[in-house]
Amino acid sequence: MDHTSKHSLNTTPVPVRRRVWPVGQILLLLPALLLLLLFFVLPNLDVVRVGLFDPDFTLEHVAKITSTRTYLSVFGNTIQISLVVAVLGALIGYPVAYFINSRPRAIQMKLLLLILVPLWMSVLIRSYSWMVLLGRDGVLNAALMWLSVTEAPVRLLYTSGAVYLAMLQILLPVQIIASYSAMTEIDMTLVRAAQTCGASAVQAMRRVFIPLSMEGTVTGVALVFMLSMGFFITPALVGSRKDLMLGNLVMQHVQQLNWGLAAAIALLMLLATLVVVVLIKAAGRYLTRWMV
Amino acid sequence: MDSNGRAHKILAVYFWLIVLFLLLPIFVVIPMSLTAGDLLRFPPEDWGLRWYREFFASHSWVQATWLSVKIAVIASLLATATGTLTVIALDRRDLPLRSALLHFVSSPLIIPHVFLAVGVFVLAVKLRLTNNEYIVAGAHAAVTLPFIVLIVGSALKGVDRNIERAARVLGAGPVRAFRTATLPSLIPSMLAGATLSFFISFDELIISQFLLSSQETLPMKIWADVRLELKPTVAAVSSLLIIVSAVAIIGAEVLRRRMGPPSSKSTV
Repeated sequence: MDHTSKHSLNTTPVPVRRRVWPVGQILLLLPALLLLLLFFVLPNLDVVRVGLFDPDFTLEHVAKITSTRTYLSVFGNTIQISLVVAVLGALIGYPVAYFINSRPRAIQMKLLLLILVPLWMSVLIRSYSWMVLLGRDGVLNAALMWLSVTEAPVRLLYTSGAVYLAMLQILLPVQIIASYSAMTEIDMTLVRAAQTCGASAVQAMRRVFIPLSMEGTVTGVALVFMLSMGFFITPALVGSRKDLMLGNLVMQHVQQLNWGLAAAIALLMLLATLVVVVLIKAAGRYLTRWMV
Repeated sequence: MDSNGRAHKILAVYFWLIVLFLLLPIFVVIPMSLTAGDLLRFPPEDWGLRWYREFFASHSWVQATWLSVKIAVIASLLATATGTLTVIALDRRDLPLRSALLHFVSSPLIIPHVFLAVGVFVLAVKLRLTNNEYIVAGAHAAVTLPFIVLIVGSALKGVDRNIERAARVLGAGPVRAFRTATLPSLIPSMLAGATLSFFISFDELIISQFLLSSQETLPMKIWADVRLELKPTVAAVSSLLIIVSAVAIIGAEVLRRRMGPPSSKSTV
């Protein structure tokens, strides 16, 4: 094997072979490549094909989406919800990650488990539990009435607020873990050096620590945004009709066998996601430069 | 108290409030599932295991659970096997296109499942393979592959490869050296990865929903039920799932940290 070659210079007998086409490696890769080809590449290409060819190249489906007001408003709504959830997630999650990172190593692992357990709970079940929490006779309404904030139950379920709340609960752990892993990489001597050179704790935080953790945090924002864009369970369960997202629209059209339209929506959704992710990354770089 | 200490106190309170928020569903759903009444109440007026009995006595709930288990087992075995082989292949630094391949096998992570689900569905219709649980399992395996590559890959990075080199110097062939020296340190992370893929597949709704028609997985059944009425059976199923998945995930995590190579400990 190749990584023995450096040592074999002294001990010799193993002949050094470099830049030979690695047949063994390719054989090892084949099963995964086959799996991805069958269940990832071909289906994805098919979405493009079905969305754009009917049977010849046509922008009919795309045109229908871009000229229908309700579709456009679902697009805008999905991007808005996802962006708000992603940015709120970073603002709320960053201090949580900072707290975990500031504890001794052994405790950090235990605190992380508290974040990991909700992360691996089913999205469906978490959305369902928000239905139960926010319902007319739900826990939150009972608490509000007990505290005499209101006299009659308030409408909490089937509102946009419910969608934001549930999605934040579902995706916050992703952001916390992204920010946390960025923070563990930071060389804390740099922060101490800044303080030795006369920076106050706040200055060291703002101009050294936060910029150094920015890249990972922004990656978290992008990840949460991408995950939100595909959501359909939560808005369908806790939102009102006007809180429907692109995922719900795709699902509706597949069930009505409008595959071309469903594929075109999915395609535009992916494109929109990629564009916004690039913008998020650019905004992150701009922010970092501004802070330093 | 100095201001630093006070800031730390505030941060600690904030941390525990957020943890409470994240764990709220567990604190609510489990007690509610223990009601003996017909309605979901918090806290329940009469306690009992009525809805758990209802779940185990219901043919359709049990069947949906088994179908989900079957699909998830196939998907996680498939993903763990192919993912581990991929990690071993990509371990060679001078492999042509190495980083492109790594990006490629990670890409199912960022594609929305809705997008993938439409594609698999349309292909399956064309090949007359809808309502086939193996196709669902294959699609689930593709979706969870990146997690295996991530987890096993980070474990492989932490393994002391000198042991394998020593085995080679002592005359073992490359396969035997790998199998006896390196593979044992990878097994905890393979198990952790397999557990994770099992639950990702178990929880997956949209691909199953599009592909299956005459049979339903557990999430499909929950989805259909929840939209009709809030019956406590769903709370009982949810509680069972919460407990089983929490125990399994914590178990796998602990196992991986205890037995895995040291440098993989910080990755999640």
